[in-house]
Amino acid sequence: MTSIPGDMSQSPSQPLPKPPSLLSRMWKGVREFTRRSPMAAFWGVLSISIVIMAISAPIIAPLDPLKADFRAMGKAPYEAHMFGTDQIGRDTLSRVIHGSRTSLIVAISAVLLGTTLGSIWGLASGFLGGRFDIISQRIIEFLQAFPDLILAMAIAMAMGSGTTTVIIAIAVTRIPFGGRVIRSVVLSLKEMSYVEAARGLGASNLRIMALHIMPQCIAPFLILATTHLGVAIIIEASLGFLGVGIPPPTPTWGNMLSDALNSGLIPPWWLVLFPGAAITITVLAFNLFGDGIRDALDPRLRGSQ
Amino acid sequence: MYTYIVRRMGFGALTVLGVSIIVFLIMRVMPGDPLTAIFGPEGMTKLTEAQRNSYMEELGLTDPLFLQYIYWIGDILTGEFGRSFFRAESVGEMVIRRGPLTAQIAILSVIFSWVIGLPVAIISAMKPNSIIDNVVRFFSIISIAIPGFWLGMLIILGLLFWFGYRPPLTGASLFENPWTTFQMIIGPAIVLGLGQAAYIARMARSTLLEVIREDYVRTARAKGLSGKGVVRLHALPNALLPVITLSGILLGFVLAGSIPVERAFGVPGLGFAMFTAVNERDIFVMQNLVFLYAMVFVMLNITVDIIIAWLDPRIRYS
Repeated sequence: MTSIPGDMSQSPSQPLPKPPSLLSRMWKGVREFTRRSPMAAFWGVLSISIVIMAISAPIIAPLDPLKADFRAMGKAPYEAHMFGTDQIGRDTLSRVIHGSRTSLIVAISAVLLGTTLGSIWGLASGFLGGRFDIISQRIIEFLQAFPDLILAMAIAMAMGSGTTTVIIAIAVTRIPFGGRVIRSVVLSLKEMSYVEAARGLGASNLRIMALHIMPQCIAPFLILATTHLGVAIIIEASLGFLGVGIPPPTPTWGNMLSDALNSGLIPPWWLVLFPGAAITITVLAFNLFGDGIRDALDPRLRGSQ
Repeated sequence: MYTYIVRRMGFGALTVLGVSIIVFLIMRVMPGDPLTAIFGPEGMTKLTEAQRNSYMEELGLTDPLFLQYIYWIGDILTGEFGRSFFRAESVGEMVIRRGPLTAQIAILSVIFSWVIGLPVAIISAMKPNSIIDNVVRFFSIISIAIPGFWLGMLIILGLLFWFGYRPPLTGASLFENPWTTFQMIIGPAIVLGLGQAAYIARMARSTLLEVIREDYVRTARAKGLSGKGVVRLHALPNALLPVITLSGILLGFVLAGSIPVERAFGVPGLGFAMFTAVNERDIFVMQNLVFLYAMVFVMLNITVDIIIAWLDPRIRYS
């Protein structure tokens, strides 16, 4: 009760405090995130470092990842080649660094493409309902009947090798998740009174979907995208390992492991250890950062996993 | 119960039909014609127009798509599943010869995942947020992030380095020499089982934590049952249902995961056959194997649903 007179005393002529700028709001958000979940923030920093490593790969990498050095073939790690060299003398460290580039480009574009397509599909099928929804649900069910890797393998093989192919192949495996999650969100949103109000004002379906439903789907979209990055990286590596990924000589972590296995009866340990460790650390960082983002954006899910 | 089974089977049949259409569309209709897939872009330019046509004719690729699809379904129904382009073996024979190895790996890995996952879940659910719980959680997160095929390569290297041991590469049937077979499947089964154990432990932990708060568990405690007795008799059986469902789903993913893992271990199972087919660009084998894997996945899901409905009347009657 005591607060009311205080409110009254504030004269309207006083200048209102300036609304904080977007940058400072973001900074505040980051600080809050760090305070609440320091572990997730740590993995976030690691994820961002990996992204920076991927972007600046040509600057960081000590040597050209494609250049064969016949004076140093199949060497175990030593000063000149910290991670050793492969059968034709290419520097493993440089190849691992450049591999992050391919891995991240493929994983991020595939997840964005697949989740976006799936989300739009889910949005439309949840909002429009009716026969379109029933048929969409069936098709998504059919797509989910394939284990991810097998579907990606089949698509990558049928379309012929290449970066675009791999991106599309992984993206298709992400569509059902986007479709399902966003559809269920939309189903509950659609009953909200503000949607009814918009309809009452004569808004078209398209307008309601774009202006009233879509903004509410951004948080689940971000959660989906970040939590699926790790899976996408593992699928990309598996495709490379199985010989249907991005064709050599492009260094990718999966290709490097595959090359190591093809190199002879006993693969040299440095050719196995480093690319795989890179996959594991990257996936770990993205998964845990994704979990942190999920907890921050959707507190209801906190601790459910 | 019977109506439930029939209904579930009906949906399953519809899904298998849909799956076959999707596989067919991917392998035959997607950009890039089958001959390019077989010969590769360079090989394609070396073929003359006449050769190209005769190959297309021979493979039955000149027929209308609808007819090709019908022929393929016919092949599936006879159990032959089409012929390999490079090998004198039908896919059906390939499955009979190589399938058992993959099936043994899958089953053994599921057993592993339960043996490891359940006790771990019980320990961490008994003391939520304790040190043990956090350690377990961290390990489960790591084992999800590690690619199975890489772990497999590390295990092989480690065994060679420290023990000078290499699992046998050419095997035999389970009944003729079980010891060789066991040595072949144990590695992939452990690797694939660890990946599943993480999910099993997570799921079992969270359902156990829910079940422990139920009234009947409190009643059991109140009547004087020990903590162990409560878990064994009341909490665990009720927490197992979601774990069974999850295990069925994971089994499907194990079949897919076994493709790179079998390659890493050099185990000549069905997954290895798929790897070979992909690299030989053998689209007919690939088409049939992809369909088979998806079909097994669907059937596993149906089986799990039926088991769950049998165990839990609430689902049966809803």
